[in-house]
Amino acid sequence: MSGNHVTIPTGAALRVKALETILEEKGLINSAALDSVVDMYETKVGPRNGARVVAKAWTDPAFRKRLLENATAAVAELGYGGPEGGHLVAVENTPKVHNLVVCTLCSCYPWPVLGLPPVWYKSFAYRSRAVRDPRGVLKEFGVEIPEKVEVRVWDSSAEQRYIVIPQRPAGTERMSEEQLAELVTRDSMVGVALVKART
Amino acid sequence: MKPVSLEELFVGTPLEKEVTFSAPWEARAFAMAVRLSESDICTWDEFRHHLIAEIGKADKVRAHGWVEDGDGYYTYFLRALENLLREKNIVDASALEMKMREISEAGHDDHEH
Repeated sequence: MSGNHVTIPTGAALRVKALETILEEKGLINSAALDSVVDMYETKVGPRNGARVVAKAWTDPAFRKRLLENATAAVAELGYGGPEGGHLVAVENTPKVHNLVVCTLCSCYPWPVLGLPPVWYKSFAYRSRAVRDPRGVLKEFGVEIPEKVEVRVWDSSAEQRYIVIPQRPAGTERMSEEQLAELVTRDSMVGVALVKART
Repeated sequence: MKPVSLEELFVGTPLEKEVTFSAPWEARAFAMAVRLSESDICTWDEFRHHLIAEIGKADKVRAHGWVEDGDGYYTYFLRALENLLREKNIVDASALEMKMREISEAGHDDHEH
């Protein structure tokens, strides 16, 4: 981020620049380390990680079992872990249960498998309504859950973060793990979408 | 107030087009919190308590319909970071103000050359 910047920061950018400068002068952080954190979350960690986890769970029953028992350990097998992923819990959608994940107080989210949360996940609208009216919220996302299917809402915390294992769509029996991973969307792993087979 | 529907927040931002940070300062603030929580200075949970407090304040105001939803998250994030650093006696308000002035003035000096 260093270089010949001619723009003078103002507002929040100036506050952040000042904070960063003070912390660096105190030797508490260094700019290069901040660059690598930003780079990691902008380019390396994201929902494609989670999609690989889901596809593996769909095709490898032993992995699925390990994932449901201890998601933190299971995703570490694929090389995913790190800050904010310490206590990952995988919840599985079935014909009888649909899972929905929210963080009502702030924005807790399973970074190592999904990256950073989207704007709507952090919004007051989502946080305030997902627990009270999950079916209504799902309808706004275009997902109708039949009355006979139970909707479970999981409120994330610093201790527990969730990833939804969506249902594998019909007609994908011959697809490879890689092809299946392509079908899995971020929203399906938060529980606000279903995975559809491409036609 | 007319609440912002989830659809408004959701529609039109396909995954591949969604940006992680909408301004560089957001990314810097986020990275600072992550790095500090990985050091001895604080835990992520300590930072999170400040974040929850700031978001909670904004939620209360928003429930009255005075603030728009859907942005502002990193503003609360930055406030939480400042509060944490103040609580830990690492950066107080006057030191921050002073540094901001310094950076601002240096920037203007550069421009005159």
